[in-house]
Order: sequence, then structure tokens, then C-alpha cells
Amino acid sequence: MAATVATEAMKAGAAARHEAGTGPAPYMNPYLAGVGLGLVLLATFVLMGRGLGASGAFTSVVAVAVEAAAPEHARANEFYVGYLENGFGHPFKSFLVFEVLGLIVGGFLSGALAGRNRRTVEKGPRISTRGRLGLAFLGGGLMGVGSKLARGCTSGQALSGGAVLSVGSWAFMLMVFAGAYALAYFVRRQWL
Amino acid sequence: MIAPFFKYGLFGDEASLILAFLVGIGFGFFLERAGFGSARKLTAQFYLTDLTVFKVMFTAIITALLGIFYLSWIGWVDLSLVYVPNTYLAPQILGGLLLGFGFIVGGYCPGTSVVGTATGRFDGFIFLLGLMAGIFAFGEAYPLLEGFVNSTDLGPITLPEALHVSYGLVVFAVVALAVVGFWGAGIVERRFAAR
Amino acid sequence: MPKLSTNQWLAVVALLLGALAVVGEPYAGTRTSLDARELAMIVEGRADHVTAPELADWIMQGQTDYRLIDIREDTAYARYHIPGAENVQIRELPEYPLFRNERIVLYSGGGIHAAQAWFLLKAMGFPGVYTVLGGFDAWIDEVLYPAAPSATTPESMAEFERAEAVAAFFGGSPRGAGEEGELQELALPSVDLTSPVIVAPRKKRRKEGC
Repeated sequence: MAATVATEAMKAGAAARHEAGTGPAPYMNPYLAGVGLGLVLLATFVLMGRGLGASGAFTSVVAVAVEAAAPEHARANEFYVGYLENGFGHPFKSFLVFEVLGLIVGGFLSGALAGRNRRTVEKGPRISTRGRLGLAFLGGGLMGVGSKLARGCTSGQALSGGAVLSVGSWAFMLMVFAGAYALAYFVRRQWL
Repeated sequence: MIAPFFKYGLFGDEASLILAFLVGIGFGFFLERAGFGSARKLTAQFYLTDLTVFKVMFTAIITALLGIFYLSWIGWVDLSLVYVPNTYLAPQILGGLLLGFGFIVGGYCPGTSVVGTATGRFDGFIFLLGLMAGIFAFGEAYPLLEGFVNSTDLGPITLPEALHVSYGLVVFAVVALAVVGFWGAGIVERRFAAR
Repeated sequence: MPKLSTNQWLAVVALLLGALAVVGEPYAGTRTSLDARELAMIVEGRADHVTAPELADWIMQGQTDYRLIDIREDTAYARYHIPGAENVQIRELPEYPLFRNERIVLYSGGGIHAAQAWFLLKAMGFPGVYTVLGGFDAWIDEVLYPAAPSATTPESMAEFERAEAVAAFFGGSPRGAGEEGELQELALPSVDLTSPVIVAPRKKRRKEGC
């Protein structure tokens, strides 16, 4: 199965190189991409005994920034301290920070192979770029608060927690879909 | 029984960071392959025109679920050493809801916004700034929120434990529901994409 | 063979694996086979125990890379236990949340129960299990109330002074030379959260969530 996934990924990359300049290659079959993602997650379980994540890395960045600006303030807050002291030395010497560095490289690599890397803003035709960027910031903010309340985001909770059948992760995942569907109608001008 | 390797001390902290980087590359690669670097592709899930998010996510979950189940069954992995997040029901339900709002408003989730940024999406970068602003706001409000954040602590409880059924039965149920969901997703897409 | 698309193949494979999972047991780790020769070698090589003074050293140095399990009755545990110990009855041991990557130190009153628990955990595939040599009695004899040496060579006196300091740390005191202290009569120091014996908090588990 891994071989199939790899071949498929290669094919998509080759297709893109082949028709360079004629537009980005089509996306991979979602089920094969899912199997690939699942195998990466499985490898993380087997190697590390833990899952993937993303929001935690940015929490480390925030905690370090707060400590740089106001050391005493940061040290008095248990939340920041939890990310400043990871039993490892520097707060950036954490699994998630390095994983997110890899995430950048992997995303860029795949985009480059498929000819999909380009500077743009993702939006529907009925919204200004400025409006879209404002909503992107607002959405990011909501997700920042939400992911910290839930102790994880779609990667850490839904994907990783879901695969080890954590009750909270499944409750979380259902609520993510519920929340997004509930609000989709009101922000349709942004996307459609 | 030898895995998880890190927890049995087969390699140290420094090596684990290198692995984290490599695993991250694989993670980012497949996210981008699936189209998750694009906010429009991601949010199409919620207008039912393209259910790729559901398909990829659940295929990934059942792949890892089956993999870890069988590796544990044959005794290669000690499942009790694989990290299960603690369940804090109330904050996770509210957090999930906020995350869902953030998803449709912002167009990404934290992992996919990194991929979006890496592939040149400026809105992905702005989303990341917003994400850090949100985390900062949460951090500053933490002394007030602490009680709620730590409430309804059920520990590292899993679905088989909560439902009092065997692990394997839940695995089968999740796989079966996912496959039925994939079949349904095709029907939904054909109907809504046509409109 | 029916002609199936890639997606249909994946679905079939997933459903088959899912269906087979119903009869599976992922926590099979509780049933492992024993290598009798290996066990015998461990016992013979005396690699299966720590002495009470060694354990006292670990505690005083604030070492936290082990778990100390007291398998005596809970009433005995409530009266006094080695600082940092968790009370687990032998019958609870198979279900007790211990992890195979931890160093586990067991003790009972004399040591027999601890030795039996040692075999139990070894049989369950725990690699790092140890017993306190001589059990709780040794802790009292050698750590809390060490006896003064009969000979007064400089070496033995230096050693005794050290033992004295250790005993004081744990709230005990040495017995004078020749004093045949009946252990039952010696008062056990009280262990409560405010006692001066500070056991360093268990090493913070590394953050594994987001």
C-alpha cells in the first residue's frame, strides 16, 4: 500500500514536471493521500509513541516571545511555563517545533513538484483581498483560542487523538465539523 | 516488544528532533498533495461541493488506527505506551466549536495554514499571525480560564473503555462508518457540485 | 477476480482488516512468555535488587527516574512507608498503571512478596524491575535505625557517621553500640506531606499534546 501511495505521488510530480508551464498538476487521489498521511501518523506512533500536532509549536513561539518581552509576567503564568519548560532545554527544542519546520519543507516540496507554489491569496470572487485577510486573521484568532481550550487542533486532537480512539478527540472532531457547518452560510461570500 | 522506540530509549532527545523534522516533511508533503494548502479546497467541504477534507482525514485516521491496532496485536508495539490525550470534555467541546468557527472564517487549521504559507498563500500567513494572537489572548486570560480548562477531566479515556466494548469492535465500527461515509460523500458531491 | 478501482480496493482492504479486528486484542502485552534461563541469570547475577541504603541515596539525591511500589497491606502503608512509595496490593498489580519503560522498585515487609511480584512483572514483560533487598525490614534496620559498628576503626566510624546523617534525613536515629533495639518498639517516624523529607516531584512528563 505504501508503494502504491509513493508511486501515485511520484506520478503526480512527474505529470507536473512534464507539463511545466501549462498549469499546476491535479491533486492526488484523496484516499491515497489519506493513506499516506495515515502511514506518516502511524510511523510517528511507532517511533515516538505520540502523535502529530501543529498548534503546540506556535504556542512555544508565543511563550518565548512573551518571556522575551516580560520575563516575570511569563514566569507567573502556568500556561506559558508549561511551554517554556519542556524538560529538554530551550523551549524550541521540542518535537512539535521541529515537526512544523519539516511541515514547511514538505509542503513546499510537494507544491514545487506539482507546480502549485505561487504567491496568491485564497478567496472567492466576491470578497476583497483586504476583507479576506481580515477574516483570515480573525479565523486564526478564533482557532488560537479554540485549540488551546481543546488542548490541540485538527492534527493533535482530531487526527492523532482520533486514531487512538480518545473520547475527547472524537467529541472535539464532531464539534469542529458542527461549528464550521453552522457558520458556513454566513461567510459564503468569502468562498463562493 | 520494542516499539514505541523512543519510550524504550532506543534513541535520545536529539535524535527525536531529527525524526520530528523528517516526520513533518512527510506530513506536509501529503497535506499539500491532498490539496490542503488551499483554503478554497479546504472550505469547499462545508459547502458540500468537495468533501476531500472528510475523505483524507478519515482515511488517515483509519489507516493509523488499523496500523497501530495490528502492530499492537502481534506484539510489536506496546499500545499502553502510545500517548492518548486526556479527555477534558467541556473545554474540548467548546474548543472544537470555536475551532470550527475559525476554520470556516479563516479558511485553514494550524497545520494546513503552515502548508498554505509554504506554498505562497499570503492569507495562510495572516492566519498564522491571527493564530498566535489568539494563543496570546488565551495565555493572558489563562488565570481566569484555568478552572474551566481543567474541568471535566476524564483522564486518558478511550471509546472502548467508555462504551465498555472491545477495542477491536470500535475499530471495526469506525472503519465501517468511514467507508459508508466515503460512499455517501461521492453521492453528496455529485449532487452539490452539479448545482 | 472482479475488476475494482483503486478506491474500491482500498475500501475492501479496510473493511476486511476492520472485520478481522473484532477478534483482536491490542493490549496483548500482558501475555508474554518467560525466558527461564534469562530470569535465572538475572537472579544469580544479583541484578534484580537494590539495597535499602542505595534506595535512600536515590531519594536523598532527588532521583525520580524510578517508581517505588509498596506491596504491603494498606494499613501498614498508612502507618509508615518509604517516602515516594505507591501502595499497590499484589492482586492489583496486573491492572495497575505501570509502564514497561519505567524502572520499578518493589518492596514488601520481608521481601518474599516483593520477589513474587517481581516474577509477576517479569512475566508481563517489564524489563526494569527490582526489589529492595531485605524489604521494609532492611529499610528500618539499615536506613532508619542503623546499628553502631562493634569495632571502632576509622573507616567503620566514618561509615556510621554517614549512616547517621541518612537516618536523620529520614527522621530516624542510630542505635547505640550493643543496644539490641527491638524493632517493634522503635517508633516509626511519621510520614505526612509536611514532613521534612521532601521527595522531589516526579519528573514532569514531557508535553505530548499540542
